[in-house]
Amino acid sequence: MTATDSTTSTVPPPTRGAAPHRRRNITAMVVIAGAVVFLLVKGITGSLNFYETVNEALKQHASLGTSTFRLEGLVKPGSIVATASGASFTLVEGSHHIDVVNTGTPPQLFQGNIPVVVSGHFASKQSTAFLSNQILVKHSSTYIADHPDRVKASNGTVR
Amino acid sequence: MKRHRLTITGWAAAVSLIATAILGILITPQDVTQKEYSRFLYLHPPMAWVAYLAFGVAALSSVLYLWPRTRREAFDHLALASVEAGVLFTGLVLVTGSMWAEPVWGTYWVWDARLTATALMFVLFLGYLAFRRTGGTKQNIARRSAIVALISFIDVPIVHFSVLWWNTLHQGPSVLTPGLSAQGVHGSMAWTMLLSFVAFTLLFCWMVGRRTALERLRASAGGSELQDAIAARRAEGTSVEVGA
Repeated sequence: MTATDSTTSTVPPPTRGAAPHRRRNITAMVVIAGAVVFLLVKGITGSLNFYETVNEALKQHASLGTSTFRLEGLVKPGSIVATASGASFTLVEGSHHIDVVNTGTPPQLFQGNIPVVVSGHFASKQSTAFLSNQILVKHSSTYIADHPDRVKASNGTVR
Repeated sequence: MKRHRLTITGWAAAVSLIATAILGILITPQDVTQKEYSRFLYLHPPMAWVAYLAFGVAALSSVLYLWPRTRREAFDHLALASVEAGVLFTGLVLVTGSMWAEPVWGTYWVWDARLTATALMFVLFLGYLAFRRTGGTKQNIARRSAIVALISFIDVPIVHFSVLWWNTLHQGPSVLTPGLSAQGVHGSMAWTMLLSFVAFTLLFCWMVGRRTALERLRASAGGSELQDAIAARRAEGTSVEVGA
């Protein structure tokens, strides 16, 4: 074997593998840049605030009109009534409240005295009744051990 | 990290993870509202903590690499190892978060500020790993990657404070609160959760220690391979001359 043969058989031309490698890198960067832009747009257009609270929604009732938004509040204990198409209940925040009529099956943890986020709109510009088609349970960062002696206080809190 | 210290860290991680699993699954009570789903408490938050820690270590290592007085190749290796672990744990945070969210919230995913910023953090640091595979000398790659790591790190505090700054479906922090207390988590659940934080931190230290050592070996092997190849080519040239 001559020196020339040895060179051609052991050292591949430098340009042969470089182009696909560079193309692969560029493709990866484009995909990642696209994903970042998508997430940014999604985050910004979705609004940084995921919901309006009961008080915020009542204050902005005139401007919100019948447009769709997410509403957050505490489910008033004892207010849940099963309906043919879902459930109706009352959301409270302090002394203010909004009556909600939901269409669809609530999540399995849906119950009284827990915060929820409902998606929908006011029934009309004059009415504060809220028509929703989705309930999301917003659980707190509090974790209380479940045991048989646990009691519920008159205000619905667990002791 | 010394080899025997790394071994001890690995065993400590294994023991504490097993203890967390036993306590978390068999011993601790379920939460009064979430019932059995509350056991994600010993998996999801510690993984998120490790992701923060990993990207924090990567950012600090990147600063130390960029600062001329402290520049060492070891800091680049540490940044790479930390980001790899961070990306892995962020991916697991997203998966376990979705698994927890579906039965509790009623949906796998929402585009609230916390979840969107976490997904962005995953993609940004995945981009860091892709960026390292672009061409250039080792020094160039290390310097550029350090800058990418620092830019990407901006998103980490946004992820953590998003639940305090904006209205999100995701609940507020349970442990990493402004007062650093776990008062919202009761009794043995709190201790088990804190143990899970220790366990996953030890696991992170072991993984990064192993990965850093591997990268150091690869760097030294890569260097000697090149020197060996150059020496072989020179020897080949000499032998041809002798043969001619």
